[in-house]
Amino acid sequence: MFWKIRLPLILTFFVGLVPIVTFFLTTRVPGVSFIRDHVEQYMVIIAGFALLLGVVNVVQGNIKKIEQRKPGWPFSISLLAGLITMGVFGILSGMKVGPFQGILAAPDGSMTPFYWMTKNLFNPLQAAMFSLLAFYIASAAFRAFRVRNIDATILIVAAFFVMLGRTPMGEYIFGWLPGGETWMPKMTDWIMAVPNAAAQRGIIIGAALGAASLSLRVILGIERSYLGSDK
Amino acid sequence: MILEKLVNIDRRIVYLLIAVGTIIPILIPIGFPVSTTPPVESLFDKVESLNSEDVVLISFDYGPTTAPENDPMAEAMLRHCFSRNIKVVVIALFPIGGVTMAGEAVATVTAEFPNLTNGVDYVLLGYKDGAQAAMKQMGVDIAGVFPSDQYGTSLADLPLMQTVRNYDDVDLIVSFATGVIGEWWANLINAQFGTPVAVGCTAVSAPKYYAFLDSGQMIGLLGGLKGASEYEKLLTTSYPALNEVYNRAGTYTATKGMDAQTVDHALIMIFILFGNTIYFLIKRREKKLEEA
Repeated sequence: MFWKIRLPLILTFFVGLVPIVTFFLTTRVPGVSFIRDHVEQYMVIIAGFALLLGVVNVVQGNIKKIEQRKPGWPFSISLLAGLITMGVFGILSGMKVGPFQGILAAPDGSMTPFYWMTKNLFNPLQAAMFSLLAFYIASAAFRAFRVRNIDATILIVAAFFVMLGRTPMGEYIFGWLPGGETWMPKMTDWIMAVPNAAAQRGIIIGAALGAASLSLRVILGIERSYLGSDK
Repeated sequence: MILEKLVNIDRRIVYLLIAVGTIIPILIPIGFPVSTTPPVESLFDKVESLNSEDVVLISFDYGPTTAPENDPMAEAMLRHCFSRNIKVVVIALFPIGGVTMAGEAVATVTAEFPNLTNGVDYVLLGYKDGAQAAMKQMGVDIAGVFPSDQYGTSLADLPLMQTVRNYDDVDLIVSFATGVIGEWWANLINAQFGTPVAVGCTAVSAPKYYAFLDSGQMIGLLGGLKGASEYEKLLTTSYPALNEVYNRAGTYTATKGMDAQTVDHALIMIFILFGNTIYFLIKRREKKLEEA
């Protein structure tokens, strides 16, 4: 009970409290900056371990999927093969073992093994995957973007102004009007800087208040979902 | 029936039109003009106000997925800094390919400025995990977060880093971001340390940054490919020698990319107009049938 619940709660309380308290006391109480700096360094180190935890989680989940022959299990083999290959290459390159001398280009401009895989496999695959979004958006724009009510109408009109203003199209279409070459980008900028910024400000403040509230609940031990669902 | 066929048109036709609209302007550049806007001009003017005694911290907070938008703006910023002999400290906080993007951009641009010396005029410190913690700790001691550069050289052996200890020694922070890291520079670092911050982001992220721009937490914003092309225009206007780089055949620039984006924007607007026209025609027909 102590090791599984009370100790994590105590640790969470103190580690969560340190950055808050030190933020206000750094210039007033000597020695506080020493504590703050060390805690922040520990956070950077622990973040690295969290990355490792994520890798272990992915490996465990996909091995289970392969063992149980769940739908899509061949893709798990592909995932694990890629993860292990890039991981091994990356670790050897980081440790500069044998021909694996670094993760970027060699000083003479030649490609290291890891850099070759990044440039010729990883980068093109990532770019191709995200490039698909353009096609999906175009298809969705044709099939789903319908002016069904006032709100949708305002949205589409604003979207048109922004799309026209964010490309040279607006200047071409309205350039024949007096000052037409400049008012379209200016209107676009106004839409972004005034109504959009107002809405974004509200969302950001709301999200920040929510995050502060949740953080306080976690620090005080009221929110314990990170300990597991049955705690 | 014709209307129903049109509204249910095979999506592969839509995909084909988008593909053609993207490929042709890349193969045959159109050369649409670019006009600049205040958020980009503000950042450009800030860098223009800096000189060889000043330091710019550039954070590569994006990966290969958004490289077509972020790479041109990052390279333009590096070229601007190096053209003014401004010292540059490069870091990466994005875990999926950030350091590779940083390494490639630095290698590409430093090859155009052969008089630069690594460790004196610029440093590439590499990637560090734990973005917010690393960003906060750098406000106290950069060497505590990056004890050595990307190539393993201790910061104590890098002349530039003897005068750049924390954010007090940095005159401008520019983050090229794909996600939330750019926000953290504005609402965490600028708020706590007061260092001027600017962000170059993807077009889809740009709307949220206008709140930070308006409040003064950011001094400039490069929004998407348009923002990058605006910065390239300002750069080539002020530094004509860089036109040789930007006009080189086979070099991808934001200005060239804008041709494809303009055509694709036009296609999407046509799709929306066409889809809604068919929708209203169908609705009108149904209403007439009901009245009849």
